[in-house]
Amino acid sequence: MNDLTFFLRLFKPHRLWLAGGIVLALLTAFAAVALLTLSGWFISASAIAGLGGDVLLFNFMLPAAQIRALAISRTLGRYGERLVTHEATFRVLTEIRVWFFAQLIPLALGRLSESRSGDLLTRMTADIDALDALYLRLLAPVVVAAIGVTAVTVFLYQYDPFISLSTGVLLIISAIAIPWLFNRLGKDSAENVVTLAASLRLRQLEMLQGMTDLLANQAYTRFSEAFANNSERLIDTEADNNRLTALSSALTLLLSQLALLLALILVALGYQDGALLGADIAIVVFCVIAAFELVQPLPQALQMLGKTQAAAHRVRHLATLTPTIDIANLTKALPSHYDLHFHNVSFGYSEQFILKNLNLNLPHGAKIAIIGASGSGKTTLLQLLTRHYDPQHGDILLGDVAINQLNHDELLSCFGVLSQRSQLFAATIKDNLLIAKRAATQNELNEAVKFAGLTQFIGRLPDGIHTWVGESGAKISGGEARRIALARLYLKNPPILLLDEPTEGLDSDTERDVLTALASFAQHKTLVMVTHRTVGLELVDVVYRMEQGILIACKTNANPAH
Amino acid sequence: MSETNNQRYFDQHHAREKVCAKWLKDQSKTVHKPILFATLAGIINGVAVIAQAALLASILSTLIIDNSVIGWTEARSPSITLEVIGLQLVGLIAVFLLRSICIYAQQIAGFNAGAKVRTAIRRQLTDTFALNPAALKQQQSGALAAVSLEQVDALALYFSRYLPQQYIVGVSPFIMLAVVMPVNWLVGLILLITAPLIPLFMALIGMGAASAQRNQFLALTRMSGYFLDRLQGLATLKLFGQAEAELTAIHHSADDFREKTMSVLRIAFLSSAVLEFFSAVAVALVAVYVGLSLLGQIHFTFAPAVSFKIGLFVLLLAPEFFLPLRQLAIYYHDRAAALGAADAILTILEQPMSKNVGWVSDSVTQHHHDSPIIEFNKVSKSYEQRQVLADINLQIHQGEKIALVGGSGAGKTTLLNLLLGFESVTEGNLWLNGQALNRENATKIMAYVGQNAYIFYGSIADNIALANANATAEQINAAAHAAGVSAFSNQLPQGLQTLVGERGYGLSGGQVQRIAVARAFLKNAEIIVLDEPTANLDKVTKTQLLAMIAQLFNDKTVIISSHDDEVIQGMDRKIILQHGRLVS
Repeated sequence: MNDLTFFLRLFKPHRLWLAGGIVLALLTAFAAVALLTLSGWFISASAIAGLGGDVLLFNFMLPAAQIRALAISRTLGRYGERLVTHEATFRVLTEIRVWFFAQLIPLALGRLSESRSGDLLTRMTADIDALDALYLRLLAPVVVAAIGVTAVTVFLYQYDPFISLSTGVLLIISAIAIPWLFNRLGKDSAENVVTLAASLRLRQLEMLQGMTDLLANQAYTRFSEAFANNSERLIDTEADNNRLTALSSALTLLLSQLALLLALILVALGYQDGALLGADIAIVVFCVIAAFELVQPLPQALQMLGKTQAAAHRVRHLATLTPTIDIANLTKALPSHYDLHFHNVSFGYSEQFILKNLNLNLPHGAKIAIIGASGSGKTTLLQLLTRHYDPQHGDILLGDVAINQLNHDELLSCFGVLSQRSQLFAATIKDNLLIAKRAATQNELNEAVKFAGLTQFIGRLPDGIHTWVGESGAKISGGEARRIALARLYLKNPPILLLDEPTEGLDSDTERDVLTALASFAQHKTLVMVTHRTVGLELVDVVYRMEQGILIACKTNANPAH
Repeated sequence: MSETNNQRYFDQHHAREKVCAKWLKDQSKTVHKPILFATLAGIINGVAVIAQAALLASILSTLIIDNSVIGWTEARSPSITLEVIGLQLVGLIAVFLLRSICIYAQQIAGFNAGAKVRTAIRRQLTDTFALNPAALKQQQSGALAAVSLEQVDALALYFSRYLPQQYIVGVSPFIMLAVVMPVNWLVGLILLITAPLIPLFMALIGMGAASAQRNQFLALTRMSGYFLDRLQGLATLKLFGQAEAELTAIHHSADDFREKTMSVLRIAFLSSAVLEFFSAVAVALVAVYVGLSLLGQIHFTFAPAVSFKIGLFVLLLAPEFFLPLRQLAIYYHDRAAALGAADAILTILEQPMSKNVGWVSDSVTQHHHDSPIIEFNKVSKSYEQRQVLADINLQIHQGEKIALVGGSGAGKTTLLNLLLGFESVTEGNLWLNGQALNRENATKIMAYVGQNAYIFYGSIADNIALANANATAEQINAAAHAAGVSAFSNQLPQGLQTLVGERGYGLSGGQVQRIAVARAFLKNAEIIVLDEPTANLDKVTKTQLLAMIAQLFNDKTVIISSHDDEVIQGMDRKIILQHGRLVS
C-alpha cells in the first residue's frame, strides 16, 4: 500500500483534474440510479393516482421533466467524465515518466549498465504503463463505488432499515469479498501465467535467433513441439483463470438478484406493518436494481490492485537504488591539462578484485592499447575513468585532481567514448548527431558527416539528414550506426578518446575507414583503446596486455607519433 | 499531404483493412462451434431477461397496486401476500439461476474459441519462421516474437467476446421486440425507431472513431516506445551530458501525446455517448408515456391501454433492449485490436520468405557412375530483381577440402544457404549424391558451423546434443573432448552440466565455436559446411580452431567460406566467387 500512496503523492499537482473526474463520475452514477428509481416511482404513483381518481392532484409535469433531465445529464455526465478522467490520466502519465527518468539519471552509468538491463527496462516500461491506470481503473471506481454504496444504503434506510441492511451487505460482498476471494483462488495460476509467458518468450526468441543451427541439426521439430507444448500449457492456465473469472461474474450477478429477491420478500413481509406502501415500494425495488451498477467495475479494480501494487513496488525499488559511485558534494574546477594517472588502483565488482594495484601514467597525448581476453577487466578500466564505478583502493587523477572530486558531468565532457554498441535514438540522423553538441552549426554537422564517411549514405536517403532512424525508422546497418557514433565523437571533440573494441563487428571497408578517421582525429588527443584483436594497434604507441588484473607492457611502437 | 495523397492513403488503408477483416472471418470458421455455443448462451440469457421482467412486473403489481387497493379496504396478512407471489418468486429464482449459468457458459465457450485460434495461428507463424532462416537473420527477433506472442494474444477477444456479441445483437433485440409489440405496439414502436438510429449515428460518428481508436493505440505504442528508447540510451545521453536536457524533451513529448490523444478521444467517446443518449432517451420516453397513460392523460384513439403490470414490464425491458448494443460498442476495440494484430500477422505470413518452399523432396534422380557428392548445374539465385548468384557450375567430390573465397557481397553465404537447402535456387539444378537436393536430405548428411553458433539455454552437454538428441553421455563427452570443449568446461564447477545461453554462464566467442565444432563432430556428417567460422576470433583461438577442424574432419568433405588467408591456405581447393560468379 505504501508504494501506491507514494505514487498518489506524485499526482498532487494535478489534483483538480483528478477530483473533477471523480465528481463527474459521481454525478453520472447518481443520474443513472436516480433515473431508474424515479421512473419506477413515477409510473407506480401514476397508476395509484389513476386508480384512486385523484389525477388532478397529481403533478405529473415535474417528474416527467426530471426524468428527461436525468436521462440527458447521465449521457453528458458520462461523456464529460470520460474526457476529464482521461485528461487526468495523461497528466499523471507525464508526471510518472519524468519522475522515473530523473531518478534513473544518476544510475545510468554503473547500475544500469550491468547485465540484462535491456530486459529490465522493457519490463519497467510495462510497469509504468500499469501505473498509468492507477487512477482510471483503480482510484476513481473505488471512490465512486464507496460513496455511491454509502449513499444508496442511507437512502434506502429512510424507507426500510432491513432492506437497507441486506442490500448494503450484498453490495459490499460483491464489491469486496467476491473479488478478493477469487483473486486469492486465482493467485497461483496468475503467477503461473507470468512464468509460462516468460518461458514461452524465451523459447520463441531462441528459435528465431538459433534457427539456422536448429535446422542444420534437424532439431527444429523438437523445439517447435516444446514451444507448442508451452503455448498450450499457458493457454490452459489462462483457461483456469478464465473459469474463475466466469464464476465470479456469475456469482456477482446472482448476488445482485439475491438483493432484489430479499427486497421483494422484505416488502411483502413488511406490508402488514404498513412500513412500505404503494409507490415507495417501487422506489426501493428500483433503487436496489440500479445500485449494483455502482460496483460493476470493482472486480476489475481489485484485480488491478495486485498488479498495480507489484508494478509500483518494482518501479519504486529500481528508482531508489543507490548509484554505484559517491557523488561529491564539493566539486573542484576542471584542471587545465589532461594527464591521466592511475595510482595503486584496485577494483572488483565483488570481494574478488579484477584490477589489482594498478599503476598507469598517461601524459596528455599518450596513445595506448590494452589487449587481453574477454573478462580480464579491460572495459572495467575504461569504466573507472568515466566513473561507472569508483575503485575500492587507490586514486585516479585527471591533471592533479582526483576524478571523484570533479563534477561528474564536467568529467564526462573530457571523454569521447566509442564502443561496439552504438546507441541510436528514435529520431532523425540530425538529432542523433546533435546529442553530441546541441548548438552545432550546419557547417559543423556537414564536417562531422564527412569525417565519418556518411556523406554518400546520407545523400542516398530521400530525406537526407532528416531521415528518421532507430526503432520504427529507416534500417541502419551496424556499420552506419558506428559511423554516426564517430560523427558524434567529432562534434564533441573531447581531449581524451576511450575506444572499446571500436571496430568489432564491422566489415573490412568500414573498419579501415573508422581507423583512418581516428588516426588523424586522435593526433593531439589522449587515446586509450581496449581490444582483443590485433586490428587498430597501429593507432597507438604502447600496447599493454591485461592479465590477472595487472598491466604488462608488451610492445612499444618504434616511432611514436608524437 | 495533398488531397489526393490523403485519398490514396485512405484507400490503401481501407483495402488492407478489408483483407484483414476477411482473414479474421476465415479464422472464425475454424471455431464456429464454441462461437455458436457462446452466442446461444447469450441469447438464452436475453430470453431469461424477458421472463425476469415479466415476473418482476407481476410481483410488483401485486405488491404495489393490489395491496394498495385491498389495503384501503382490509388488511391482509403477510403470509397471504407471500402465498400470492410465492410461485412467482420461485420462478424468479429459477430465472436468476438460469441467467448465471448462461453468463458462465458464454464466457467459457468464448474463451475456448479464442484459445483454439491462438494455438493454430501461433503454430502457423513459427512454421513460417522456419521456412527461410536466411531471411530471418535480417529481422529483429524481438519484433517477430512480439507478433507470435502479444499480437496472437490480441486476436483472442475478437473471437471470444466480439463475434458472439455481434451475433447476439442480431437476435436478442428482435426477440424482445417480438414480445413487446403484441403487448404494447406504441412502446415497441419507440424501441423500433430509436434502435436503428443508433447504428446509423454511430456509423456517422464512428467513421472517424474506428481509425481514431487505431491512432490512439498507435500513439500509445509510440509514447511507450519513445520512453523506452530514451531509457535504453540513458548511458549515452549521460556521457554526452544530455540526460538532464532529455527530461524537458520527455515532458514535451508526453504533453504532445496527451493533446493529440485527447483530440482523438473527444470523437471516439462521442460515439458511445450517442449510444447512451438514445438508450437513455428511449427509456425516459417509455417511462413518461407509461406514466401519463396510467394517469389517463394520453387520449390517442389508437393508443393501446396500459395496465400498471404491462407498464412496469416494458419499462424494465427498455434498458435491456439496448444492452446488447452497448456491450457490442464496449467490445468494439477488441475488433480494432484484432484487426491491428491481423495486419501484423498477415505481414509475416504473406512475406516472400514464406514462398521459399517449393521445396519438398523432388523424386528426380540423376544417374552417374562416380557422380560427385555435390553438383551445381547452371545455378542462379535472385532476390526479386537482384541477382546474387549467376550460372554456377561446380562439382565437389568426396573428401575434398574446399575454401570458398570472395569479398563480402560476393554470394558466399547465399551459396552455402542453397547447399544446406535453406533457400531454393531460382534457376538450374542442385544435386546431392545424384539426387535433387532438398533441406531434408541436405541437413541429414551435412553439419554446419556458422560465424556465431547459437547457444540455447541449457547445459553445455544439451547444446552439443543438439546435433543428435539420442546421443549417449559417452558420445557427448567424446565430442566435447575432441573439440576442446572439455578444456574449458573442466574448469567450471559443473563441467558439461554448466548452464549456458540466455540467463546462463557467458561463453567467449572461441568457446562458442568449439561447441559448434563439437556438434558437427557428434553428428558425424559426411559433409562439413563452415561459414566464416573464425571471423570473430582472435589469432590464437583462430589457429587452435583451424587445427582442430583439420584434424577432426580429415576424412570428411569440408567446405569453408572465408576471406582469411590462414583459413584458405589450409584447404586443397580454392573456389573464388566474384559478384555472384565463379572466377576459377
